[in-house]
This record gives sequence, C-alpha cells and structure tokens, in this order.
Amino acid sequence: MTYRFLPDVALADIAFEAESDSVDGLFETCALAITDIMVDPKTLRATTKRKLSLQSENLDRLLYDFMTELIVLKDVDSLLFGDFDIKVTADGTSLEAVAKGEPIDRERHSLRNDVKAVTMHLFGVRRQGRSWKTTVVLDI
Amino acid sequence: MPANSAIKQVSEVSWEIPVSYKQGMHVPARIYATRKLLDNMDSGVIEQATNVACLPGIVRYSYAMADAHWGYGFPIGGVAAFDTENGVISPGGVGFDVNCGMRLIRTNLRFPEVKPKVKELVDLIFSLVPAGVGVKGSENFAQSQMGDITSLGVRWCAENDLAWEDDPQHVEEGGFIKGADISKVSRQAISRGVSQFGTLGSGNHYLEIQAVDPARYLDRELAKEFGIVHDDQVMVMIHCGSRGFGHQVCSDYLRTFESGMRRFGIEVRDRDLACLPFSSKEGQDYYSAMVCAANFAFVNRQIIVNKVRDAFSAVFHKDAESLDMHLIYDVCHNVAKVENHSYDGAKAKVLVHRKGATRSFGPGHPDVPAAYRDIGQPVIIGGSMETGSYLLVGTQKAMEDTFGSTAHGSGRTMSRTAAKKEVRGAELQRKMLDRGIYVKAATMDGLAEEAGMAYKDISEVVETMDRAGISKKVAALRPVGNIKG
Repeated sequence: MTYRFLPDVALADIAFEAESDSVDGLFETCALAITDIMVDPKTLRATTKRKLSLQSENLDRLLYDFMTELIVLKDVDSLLFGDFDIKVTADGTSLEAVAKGEPIDRERHSLRNDVKAVTMHLFGVRRQGRSWKTTVVLDI
Repeated sequence: MPANSAIKQVSEVSWEIPVSYKQGMHVPARIYATRKLLDNMDSGVIEQATNVACLPGIVRYSYAMADAHWGYGFPIGGVAAFDTENGVISPGGVGFDVNCGMRLIRTNLRFPEVKPKVKELVDLIFSLVPAGVGVKGSENFAQSQMGDITSLGVRWCAENDLAWEDDPQHVEEGGFIKGADISKVSRQAISRGVSQFGTLGSGNHYLEIQAVDPARYLDRELAKEFGIVHDDQVMVMIHCGSRGFGHQVCSDYLRTFESGMRRFGIEVRDRDLACLPFSSKEGQDYYSAMVCAANFAFVNRQIIVNKVRDAFSAVFHKDAESLDMHLIYDVCHNVAKVENHSYDGAKAKVLVHRKGATRSFGPGHPDVPAAYRDIGQPVIIGGSMETGSYLLVGTQKAMEDTFGSTAHGSGRTMSRTAAKKEVRGAELQRKMLDRGIYVKAATMDGLAEEAGMAYKDISEVVETMDRAGISKKVAALRPVGNIKG
C-alpha cells in the first residue's frame, strides 16, 4: 500500500500514483495521500470520528466521490483525517468507512496545501496483476 | 517542448499546429510564444491544446497563450470559443476555481512613505484576510442569502455597504455576470462556500503590496488613465477565486457531464474535457451554476479589498477614500462567457472559455467601463511573488485575433514537488527579505512551491503578448510585501 508523487505531471497542481493489493487499501492509500498534501500527518491526532456511507455508479466514481467527500469535510467542518477503516462492496458501487482525525488547529498542525478538488485528468482505477492502481491529479 | 515538425511559425511570436496533426481536430491550434518560450513549453500544452481543438463546435482556433502550461483537460493559458447553437460547454475548460481572477487597487501613497510600514501592513492584512488550508472568513452570511449574493455579485455588496459606489463598474461585467440560478448549485457547494467569503485560499493565491517599477516598464501617458501618476506609486494586487463554492460546482458538473456525453455521442481525449452541448439542459444548468460561482468570486475579492482598505486606513491614520484606494479593475481568468465577436466576416455570439487567460477587450468596446473606453480594458497579469507583475490594456487586435483574450500570468515551468526540492520556504523568505520583499505565508511548504524559479520569465510572457498586439503594456509592478495563501 503506497503512494508516490509525480513531479512531472500537471505543473500547477499535485499528482500522485497510488497502489494497493486490495480495493479497500487503494481507497485508504488515496485518502492518506490527500491528507499528506494538506498537513504533516505526524501532527494529526485521532480525536474525532466520522462515519461515511457512499454509493456510486462504479468503482471509479466511488473513489472520486470518496476523495471529494474528504475535501468537503475539510471545508465545511474543518476536519482532517489520518486514520481510515474502509470497506468497499464487492461490486465496487458503495462503501462504508470510518475516518478518524481532528479539527484543524493552526497552532499545532503543520499545514501544507489546500486541496481544491479531484480532477478527472488521467484518473481511473485499474487492475495490474494482483495490484489495484490509480493516478490522481488534485487541483491546488 | 520536443521539436515538432508539425508546428509552423506564423509570425515572430505566433505558431500554428494544423488539423492534420491529430485525428479529430476541427480547427488548428495557435500558440503565442517567442522561440525561447516555445522551446521550453512542456509537451502537455501541445497535446492539450490539440485535444481542445477536437471538441464539437469549436471555432477558428484552440489557443495557448505565452504563459501556457500543462493543466488538466485544457492547458492553463488556453482559450477556446464555441458556437452557441452547435458547440459545447466544458466545466474543465473553465477549471475548478471558477473566476479565479486578479484585482488591482491603487493608492496615492509613494513607496518611500510606505517602505517603513510594509511589515506592519502585511502583518495586519495577514490577520484580517484568512489564508491557507480550510480557513473560514469573518463574514457571517446565511445560506438563505446565497441566492442574492451569487446573482448580484459586487452590486449586492454595494447595496449592503460592502463596496464603494464606483466599485462595481470597475469589475469585469460590472461586478456580476447575468444568468445565475442558485437552484442549479448543490447543497454541498453552498455549504463549502458560505463560510469562506473574504478568504484567500492557498496554492498560487496571494495578496501583494507593489510599487510601480519604471525601470522595467512604465508608459506614463497610459498609466495616468488608471490614476497612476507617480513612478513609485503603491498598489495592491489580489489573486484568488471562488473557493470551495466554485470547486464543488465544477466537481458536481464534471460527473453530470461525463454521464451525459454518452447520450449525445460525444467522445473526448481526456476525462476533464467532458462537455455537453451548450444548448442542452445540462449545459444550461452548468452555465447558471458556474455564473453563481463567478459572482461568488467577485464578492470574495470585494470583501478582501474591504479588509485591505481597513488595514491601510489603520496604518496610515487616514480613511481609505483619502488614500484614493479605488479599484483599477478586477478581471476573471477562469470563466466561460457568451460574447459577441466578429470572425470569418460575420458577427456571432460565441461561448468563450478562458482557462488561465484574461479578457482583453479593446478601445470602444461597450463592455469596457466608460472611464477606460477610449483606451481599452485594464488587463492584470500576475507574476510570481519574486518577479513582479504587469498592468496592460486590451486591444482591437485581440478582438480580431483571439476573441478578445490574452495571457493571465507568468505560467509555471516547474511542478510544486520539484520546486520544494530546490528550495526551503524559510530560506526563500529570508532571501526575499534581503531583496526588500517582506513575505508572510500560511505555510512554508506553500511558500517554497511558489518560488520565482518555478515560473517563466513574466517580462518575456508580457513582451510576447505585446508584440503579438493582443494586449499592450502599461506598467510593471514590483513586489514589496506579500501574503501567500
């Protein structure tokens, strides 16, 4: 379960590639990458818990909606999350997740970039051998 | 950019890629650049500009301005006009930050009197204008007010004592674009935006105190038309957009459009090019929601200006009117608008997408404010926080050649990840202070990503547009204090 930033893609924005041996792991990896872009995860504690239930047309859209939901929670409720427990259904159209984190604290959190949105550029979930992969370009 | 035999030189500063370059191109791509800028342009620009040329109903050219760089879907620095009856509208052609734009305010202060106060000013503005990850603004508007705010923009501000009487007329479109309909905006978008009025955001957004820089460029006669009468006059420039409201509008409609394309048999080369006929219900709904976001952005920048006026007033113990802190102008650089243009010997209404590009209407155009109608609209080109910015004016040639459009900034040459590897934020902050630029940033990582070396040479970009004749230089502006989101 890893992500790596892609320095040569979409210069004004931030791109990463995520990989995991499971769909649940891929979603978790993408969520952790987004958190890493917004805050130093080492400064984030797990004092607040949010349950998320999402449904979508397919696995691609579900991942897009899940990442968008994390950005919405940052803007609306000022929440950042560093711990995720995610279960995606076998058909890839819905998920139940528990995200743990805390409200933004400008004194204690080492904040980084404000993520505006998940773009569709180069986006898509793909299976390669035993791995699940995706490329994500975030608008910064 | 890799050498590409398909690119033909048209003039000293313009290039064309013919429709034979890629299957499906309806029009050629036109790139504005010096040889040096073209050689250094990333290959993503060529691919993206030619992808845009394949979209249904595009007319004349798919343009890439001199500041173009690899974006998502459209290149940043891209312009494309579409037939309003047979053409499409694309949320990705506007971008997530709907009506990201620039505002320029003048003062009657001269740099020597501001210099000892720059730190105090920047620190005070930093405390009044929230910047960075997930910040909330100080204005407490109710969700029930969002319909009025997003349909009337700066005019709503003027009616509610949040703008000076002459502010709306110094904003593109008179401070609000017509056609807003809040019922087309999702609850999520409204929730994201309602608490974010008056916030700067992050990324490349900034608020900068600047001084006129005659050593680089100043046309004193033209500058006078904008109230710039001293060689060291102090200005304030603001760069930000529609915050979470606009971001969510784009996200919502990208999904709608991707699903809808199948129904219209439209295929695109990049998912962020998702588009639908402008005349379709979805196309009209997106336009109405996008206009709400554009008007949100005008209001956001207005509230920031109010804070800037308060700060100058507090530091110089004079009211902002006495400091002549009038808007020179406010321009959108991420937007799609229905405009009247003439091309191929006829007049037509077209839907002009400008993604990282600025309107550049010339003298005599009815949409240019009366005060500037004889000279053309102000064009505000923001540079990196190290290298400065420019004020230009629109031209008749832009009306003829580019649907009244020009560049928007200096354009990146280096990714954020790469920039952070080159320089540390704290080190950059010290170096800038040594050069007389006091910077306060929401985060040091964000500061490093915006280092001047990550951008093209803005003077070369501006010179290119000037030589192409699609905007004309008025004044160079150098940074002296900067707030980085």
